[in-house]
Amino acid sequence: MGGKKKKSFIDKKRSATFTLVARDSASSSDPLSSNRVFVRTDNHYDYSVPGFLDSDEEQYNRHDESSIFADAVEESGARYAGRSNGSGLPEEVRKEILELGLPDDGYNYLMHLREIRNQGGGSAYYENPRARFNLVPLDVKAYDASRVRLNSDAVKDDEPGVDTIYKVASKSAPVRVQKAIDPDVIRLLDDSDLSRFGSDVEDLEEDFVLMANQPDGEEDENGDVQVKNSCADEEAVYERESDSEVDDEMDDVVQQRVRRPLDDAFDEAFKEYLSSDEDNGPIFGDENQADLEEKLKGALKDFNLEDSVQEEVYKAPADSVKDDQESAQVIRKCTEYAQKYLNESEGEEREVVLVSESSDESEMWDCETIVSTYSNLDNHPAKIEAPGNPKRRLPPKSIPFPGELGAGKDVITLGGKEMLPVNYLPQRRKIMEGLVREKLGSAEKPKKVVGEESKEEKKERKVALKNERREARRAKKELKGLYKSETQRAQKAVAVTGPSSIHLM
Amino acid sequence: MAAAVGYGAMKPTKLGVEESHETLNRIRITLSSRDVKNLEKVCADLVKGAKDKQLRIKGPVRIPTKVLHITTRKSPCGEGTNTWDRFEFRIHKRVIDLISSPDVVKQITSINIEPGVEVEVTIQDV
Repeated sequence: MGGKKKKSFIDKKRSATFTLVARDSASSSDPLSSNRVFVRTDNHYDYSVPGFLDSDEEQYNRHDESSIFADAVEESGARYAGRSNGSGLPEEVRKEILELGLPDDGYNYLMHLREIRNQGGGSAYYENPRARFNLVPLDVKAYDASRVRLNSDAVKDDEPGVDTIYKVASKSAPVRVQKAIDPDVIRLLDDSDLSRFGSDVEDLEEDFVLMANQPDGEEDENGDVQVKNSCADEEAVYERESDSEVDDEMDDVVQQRVRRPLDDAFDEAFKEYLSSDEDNGPIFGDENQADLEEKLKGALKDFNLEDSVQEEVYKAPADSVKDDQESAQVIRKCTEYAQKYLNESEGEEREVVLVSESSDESEMWDCETIVSTYSNLDNHPAKIEAPGNPKRRLPPKSIPFPGELGAGKDVITLGGKEMLPVNYLPQRRKIMEGLVREKLGSAEKPKKVVGEESKEEKKERKVALKNERREARRAKKELKGLYKSETQRAQKAVAVTGPSSIHLM
Repeated sequence: MAAAVGYGAMKPTKLGVEESHETLNRIRITLSSRDVKNLEKVCADLVKGAKDKQLRIKGPVRIPTKVLHITTRKSPCGEGTNTWDRFEFRIHKRVIDLISSPDVVKQITSINIEPGVEVEVTIQDV
């Protein structure tokens, strides 16, 4: 083309380029504004389009020093011309940095400041209106020492109230002790009436007997009352020792109860009961009383042993035996014999009674004799020798057996360690295969080196081998059936002569 | 010649009364995307919107698609038959030229946008 280049529609060098990008939603986003804003992407700032950008787009296109990209590497050096001299930050920024106490070294620390809002990442601060920080238990623990009783050494006087701490302490001030107890627990402990745990129908108080008996004041009941009083006291003490915040109302539980007609009736019955107390007998019939007692006492009289338990002197059971008993007679006889014996031995010579014992020299036990005491069914005793060379038995094979050469078909040759018939019984697989091979007439292929034969030849070889084996198995089975009786006879012979590990069938 | 005429001229027939008071700019909208369907849709919408407002528009010019090829071995190791993956990345680009005031263009472009379509606007004074 010889002509000038056509004037393009837009001259890039004199235009402003904007790109539509997604809005950064961290800053103020109202639903009316769109998701995308136009951001200027070129650097020709002398050309500006006034009407194109909205107000919020303007903020994206502001190139403040305080924006977070302010210190990014610039692609063109045009912006450096606009900076002020000195530390490089505008004056307001510097002032604010100095106000916050940050060093004035030209770095804009304000960009690291962040507004606390409820948005943001994990480091945002959330104001918890229900957080109570004063519930953290104090380092100092305060104990209630008002009930501490001092040692008698420290107490000088005999005054009643002097053994408390208050008298001894140089300075005491009322301190409100804040206990780190759950208010629920306090409420439970405070629950003096415990009306939640009792039934609503119940009319009686806890110590109703005490309360009932108190207005009467009878002497017979004093013991009971005292016991009950002490019980009540213990309870009261126990309660006192527990949490000191518990109300002292617990001690005043005993109150007067409204008397009912039933109470009067009960009192009368009780009086009657007590008045009829002189009898002191069981509730059932009075006539049998005396008989029963005597019977009980006399029942065990017959079986009464000597009360050897109660005596102070120690006695063996034999000593405490009475004369009219059998055991006493036996014991007496024994003592007589013993004394007789003792007296006799002093007088005459003692007869020496010899009991035959086996001495070590007379008897000689060895393994053979011991073993021979066992039955012959279980073992076949023989002298144990060291195992020799098994080959010594037969003469070397190089020397022909005199009878061997003349051996024909009718002669069964014996060979091997156990002197068994050779070439007489069904043989091993390989030999059978050899026979089969002869029968089939297949010539053995010269064995190739593995890796040199091709796949087909290998396959052929394997298949032939398989066939041979199959035939051999069949022939073996046939032969086995034929000569079964012979095998039985051979097995019998082997069973007697050789070890039982040989199985021929 | 024709170019010189077009450089500063406005077509009086197509201008409405409002437009004559406002500055007119040459605006080139470049749309690029990997997805042709979305891109064509956006283009069609833009053109339709501009035509409704009686703007002078030069219809979507299809820039030839740039295909970026990446050919890698399929295997993570070197073993096995050497199979290769052929990935490609197609970038389609359309250019629309308008002559109008900038706020009108703002309106048009803010209405529709498909995901994956990148919009670039170049403005020049006429």
